[in-house]
Amino acid sequence: MKKVFKLRDLDCANCAAKMEAAIQKIHGVESATVNFMTQKLTIEAADSDFEQVLSEAERAIRRVEPGCALIK
Amino acid sequence: MSRRQKKDLLRIAAAAVLFLAGLLIPGETARLILFLLAYLTVGLDVLREAGEGILHGQLFDENFLMSIATLGAMVVGEYPEAVAVMLLYHVGELFQSYAVGKSRASIASLMDIRPETAAVERNGSVIDVDPEEVAVDEVFVLKAGDRVPLDGVVIEGTSALNTAALTGESMPRDVAPGDEVISGCINQTGLLRVRATKLYTDSTVARILDLVENASDKKAKVETFITRFARVYTPAVCGAALLLFLVPSLFMDGRWADWGMRALSFLVVSCPCALVISVPLSFFGGVGGAGKRGILVKGSNYLEALAKADIVVFDKTGTLTRGVFHVTVVHPDQISEEELLRIAATVENASDHPIGRSICAGYHGSLALEQLSDVCELPGQGMSAVLDGETVSVGNEKLMRSLGVELPDCPHAGTVVHVARGGVYLGHIVISDQIKEGAEEAVSALKREGVRKTVILTGDSQAVAQEVAAKLGVDEAHAQLLPAQKVEQVERLLNEKRPGGTLVFAGDGINDAPVLTRADVGVAMGALGSDAAVEAADVVLMDDDPRKLATAIRISRRTLAITRQSIVFALTVKLLVLALVAVGAANMWWAVFADVGVSVLAILNAMRALRVDGL
Repeated sequence: MKKVFKLRDLDCANCAAKMEAAIQKIHGVESATVNFMTQKLTIEAADSDFEQVLSEAERAIRRVEPGCALIK
Repeated sequence: MSRRQKKDLLRIAAAAVLFLAGLLIPGETARLILFLLAYLTVGLDVLREAGEGILHGQLFDENFLMSIATLGAMVVGEYPEAVAVMLLYHVGELFQSYAVGKSRASIASLMDIRPETAAVERNGSVIDVDPEEVAVDEVFVLKAGDRVPLDGVVIEGTSALNTAALTGESMPRDVAPGDEVISGCINQTGLLRVRATKLYTDSTVARILDLVENASDKKAKVETFITRFARVYTPAVCGAALLLFLVPSLFMDGRWADWGMRALSFLVVSCPCALVISVPLSFFGGVGGAGKRGILVKGSNYLEALAKADIVVFDKTGTLTRGVFHVTVVHPDQISEEELLRIAATVENASDHPIGRSICAGYHGSLALEQLSDVCELPGQGMSAVLDGETVSVGNEKLMRSLGVELPDCPHAGTVVHVARGGVYLGHIVISDQIKEGAEEAVSALKREGVRKTVILTGDSQAVAQEVAAKLGVDEAHAQLLPAQKVEQVERLLNEKRPGGTLVFAGDGINDAPVLTRADVGVAMGALGSDAAVEAADVVLMDDDPRKLATAIRISRRTLAITRQSIVFALTVKLLVLALVAVGAANMWWAVFADVGVSVLAILNAMRALRVDGL
């Protein structure tokens, strides 16, 4: 399943790159892109893992940029 | 400006006032208090986020680096420097956020083709609804000045549509009942009633917006490279800072404070922001600017690949030629051109064959059909009929030979139609596809842009391919190819390209999906409304002007050049300042310039990518 999420207050291009790298490392993620310009996160993961992956991705985002939030 | 940005601006202004007051006021204690207040006004958030970062194991994030640098400067007693670094860091961040927002907004307005409402006929009255709520087969009304909300077919009325927002083409397109209209165009003159043929989400406008917006998801190689570089750069500079602090103070002169300040300046320079932001910002601008010119680029990576075009391969029919057959040459024997055309058109009048139709279309006089009798179609050969009491045959070489008519050689490429009357040769008419306006210019513009080789691949005859290639200045032409053979040719050419160069294939998107996918960059032309082509291609030219290909390459080259300028400039300044700081020739103020100043300049440079007029 491939899903797109909006990232609120994603303010720094380097943080976007770091988030992308961190989310790509999450177990179960097939592909992940953080688009700094459109402030969007695209995650591709198996349907069964998706909830799990998403909550780990949210944690990764908070770790890199505490002010940034994923909007579901 | 957003609310958050306004709040930031206020805080910066307050801190700046406190800072200035601190610089001017006499008395050590008062100064110290003012500096501290100024520092906390802008720095508290940074310190807090740095703290959170440490807890999360984010050691090299900007907040952390800035906190260490400024706190260190205060420990050493350089209060004004500490405040200034923090203040300018904030100014840089604010500017960055403002510029990025501005750039997002200007792309949105470049692509301002989103229709607000659709005036739908429901239960006998016309109501305005959200285009997303319109079902297929519902009828909507367009007044002059309205934007077409969904793709559809005109059922009543005539008008001229302005397609400029989609194609960059300023000539209005005339529509009448039965014609398709494409969402995003503007109805200029008459009142139209249109039956929707697609849902809003499948309509052209929604798909274009989606493509342009998400193009930056597919990242260019240079962007991936820079983010990887940043991951090494920051720790490396921080490591160097630590060495710069420890080694000389322990083993050389022991001037802790001086070496400490130099090391802290290193930390300020170690932020990779200017590098990291300039790449996606430039590509975003380049893709948006191209969209404005009717060139849809489906990814930053394709924009990058276009810039390196080494070989350009064209499909012929529909790409370099119009794909519509016309009478191009009339060669009469003994009679006039007009007479030859009239005879041929009279006989072919009854024919449904495309060749017959194009001959009829080529004759503008009136036909005396009452003189015609015994019309007979000879499949694979032509037509024969009795006209004014004599048997007239119109057809190919085979037909003429079966009649025993002597044929002259015709040097023209195309389909040759011969005419004989009562066994006497009257002449021939050549029907061929016409070269598109601007095709020659398109090829020469590509050459000027440094494309080494241009090739035509076509299913048409060798003679036609050679003639078109010679006329346009195309280097190679390969004819009579089946779709699979086109792929083979493209594979052969892929091996021929220069290292680092790319192969671009441009076709009209009909039957060339395999080649579009096989090429490094597949360009579909005149694809407005053709879903399959938009799907298969990497770059879509909205109108069918082949010159747009060179425009696309120019835009991509400039985008890449801007990116390169920003990277080279940022790295040079950073390394230079690092060197100067290391030997003590530059202080923390220079370091701030190498961080914030360079970011601001890189952002301003990147925003130039958006302006593509005149390219």
